[in-house]
Amino acid sequence: MGFGVYGGGTLRLAIPAILLGFVVGIILGLARLANRPWIHYPAVLYIELIRGIPLVIVIFWFWFLVPVFIGRPVPEYWVALTAFVIFEGAYIGEIIRAGIQSVPRGQVDAATAGGLNYIQTMVHVVLPQAIRNMLPSLVTQFIVLFKDTSLASIIGMMDLTKAAQTVSERELRPFEMYIFIAVVYWAFTYSMSRFSRWLEIHMSPERAS
Amino acid sequence: MIFGFLGMTYEFRWSVLWIQPHLTWLADGILTTLRLAAISWAIAVLLGIIFGAMRTVPFRPVRSIATAYVEFFRNVPLLVWLFFWYFGAPEAFPEVIRQWFIHHGIEFWSAVAAISVYHGARFAEVIRAGIQSIPKTQLEAGISSGLSVAQTYRLIIIPIALRLIVPPATNESLNLLKNTSLAMTIGVAELTFSTRQIETYTAKAVEALTAAALLYLVICLSISTVMNRLESKFAIPGLIARGARAEH
Amino acid sequence: MKRYGIIFLLVMLVLSFTGIAAAQAQSTMEKIKNSGVFTIGVRPASPPFSFINKQNERGGFSNELGMLVHKGLEKKLGKTIKLEMKETTPATRIPLLTSMAVDLVTETMTDTRARRDSVDFSITYFVTGAQLIVKKGSPIKGAQDIAGKRIGTQQGSTNERVLREKYSKAELVTFPDQAAAFMALQQGKLDAYCNDGIQLWGLKYKTPNPDQWEVVGNYISYEPYGMAMRKNDSDFRAVVNNALMEAIEGGVYFNLYDKWFGPKSDVPYPMAQSTKDFLLLQVVPK
Repeated sequence: MGFGVYGGGTLRLAIPAILLGFVVGIILGLARLANRPWIHYPAVLYIELIRGIPLVIVIFWFWFLVPVFIGRPVPEYWVALTAFVIFEGAYIGEIIRAGIQSVPRGQVDAATAGGLNYIQTMVHVVLPQAIRNMLPSLVTQFIVLFKDTSLASIIGMMDLTKAAQTVSERELRPFEMYIFIAVVYWAFTYSMSRFSRWLEIHMSPERAS
Repeated sequence: MIFGFLGMTYEFRWSVLWIQPHLTWLADGILTTLRLAAISWAIAVLLGIIFGAMRTVPFRPVRSIATAYVEFFRNVPLLVWLFFWYFGAPEAFPEVIRQWFIHHGIEFWSAVAAISVYHGARFAEVIRAGIQSIPKTQLEAGISSGLSVAQTYRLIIIPIALRLIVPPATNESLNLLKNTSLAMTIGVAELTFSTRQIETYTAKAVEALTAAALLYLVICLSISTVMNRLESKFAIPGLIARGARAEH
Repeated sequence: MKRYGIIFLLVMLVLSFTGIAAAQAQSTMEKIKNSGVFTIGVRPASPPFSFINKQNERGGFSNELGMLVHKGLEKKLGKTIKLEMKETTPATRIPLLTSMAVDLVTETMTDTRARRDSVDFSITYFVTGAQLIVKKGSPIKGAQDIAGKRIGTQQGSTNERVLREKYSKAELVTFPDQAAAFMALQQGKLDAYCNDGIQLWGLKYKTPNPDQWEVVGNYISYEPYGMAMRKNDSDFRAVVNNALMEAIEGGVYFNLYDKWFGPKSDVPYPMAQSTKDFLLLQVVPK
């Protein structure tokens, strides 16, 4: 039924979005904790702004603005990807920040005492521990992002949700179609959350609830 | 004011937001958003308390039903649920009921159904975490005092849990509010819909979207400020919300 | 912080002036002559006007008319000009035109007085208007019957505006796209769906049984399609209009119409006699 194409559309959006969002999140998390006000405040502003508005608005923003800036119409994929990275990056930034703050201060002190500079401390000592601590939350955010990719169908991108719409219009059996798509999404996300539980148990058994 | 950048020109005209009927559309949009959010929130919290509590009782079948509800509804994107409740579910109802709904705002009520059931599942998780962070001794004490399980839950456990979970509950409530924006896909004339409409009539997308973003921000910030105040008022000294982690 | 802000504003100011300046530098004819390229604005998926077929070629009624204009341009300038087709959407077509990225918008664009503030239009090359599509046997026979009924429209369409202004007693339900609206109509959630007549005929013939649906009513709104170009460019406009007039006069236009909208095509859209007269009368004597 061609679902491979549509499912591929969802994954094609979700996977780059999570990777790029992760990078943005690290930058934002670090910026949020920075001492210099001209790094700290823009980061705070950005995060608070994004968290106060719906993803749909962000998608529409980019849908209208990106072509104006670039000078030509842009395929929905790039609009959606940009919107997702900008949006999810803010949420991931908060997770990373919490992760960094959960690393005991003693680690940073020991690193400095050992002669490492800021970047080396971050890259080799703090971030690895921070990310390990926040791994369950990060996987949760990936699941959230995966579900949010359904919004790309609003601007016409071919993903699983659009597939359900298209087929149900053709075959005129919306009830069955949407239940079927619900099950497909459920299969993906349920297995991801099972994986998250597994990760939690195997990586930090003492912390699993 | 004209804005030229790399090949296209855009002319700003903020006045489009003030003239009628655009202002009315924005106002109606905000009201519909708030109405949709309020009604869905009430139902979602109710569902959340019921199913969240059900997930923690010592009876396996009750727990399983609740787990099925939660895991099924929250793992599927809200957008799919909106389409299901608008295009799919009504077909399963008898003609008479369908016709009644069609003439009484079926778009709005389908949105209410979709949003409240979806967020009900998410609230259930938050409440479950809250209940599970209450020491088991409370439940035991209640039962040994002669209360039934149901009474213990109703009189002791749930009131405590509700006060514990204010931060993640606020987060979920704000998510619900922001998710009302999706209702525009089934024709509900809420705030995002209104801004798109202004954009259609005037081609001034930037102004309209900025207005929407600001309005959502204001509403969200007001709610979280109020909830923060409530949290300090209701905090139970000595009981910290452990494990009340925000679920997806 | 303040320093960066001021620099940013200055940069924006400078860039905005370059934008306006570029827009008024040359006339279109000069630009095409100098660059040797003629760019028209088209849509990727708007059959039968403008679309990309399975072989990745561009085709459609509007595209072919654009090609006729191209030939007229070559004749007038006396040299070969390359024809480029650039994708536009309703949101981007006017900005692309004013910034000279596109010379002529040939996709389906309604000629309105409000739009004439921003662009100039060629003569009308297609006439349609908003109508209603209903289930066969519906009591609705036209806009006069829609008071109190649920009428669907597409978000972002001029039809919604017209209905709201002229028929405020109808209950309007607006959907993000035509497919969702039509599904609601099929399920009985709508009594009728409103869009340009030509779109409705296309919709009707795409359903499994077209006989179940009727397009009814006089034109609720008048939608004359014209090709849009930059303002105050009379030389270019004359060339475009001449090309169109020659096509109408010589019959090429009607052949094209028959190819895309005739009885044997995918979307039969019979041309009213008054429309045919109107098109012929637009052709002024040589």
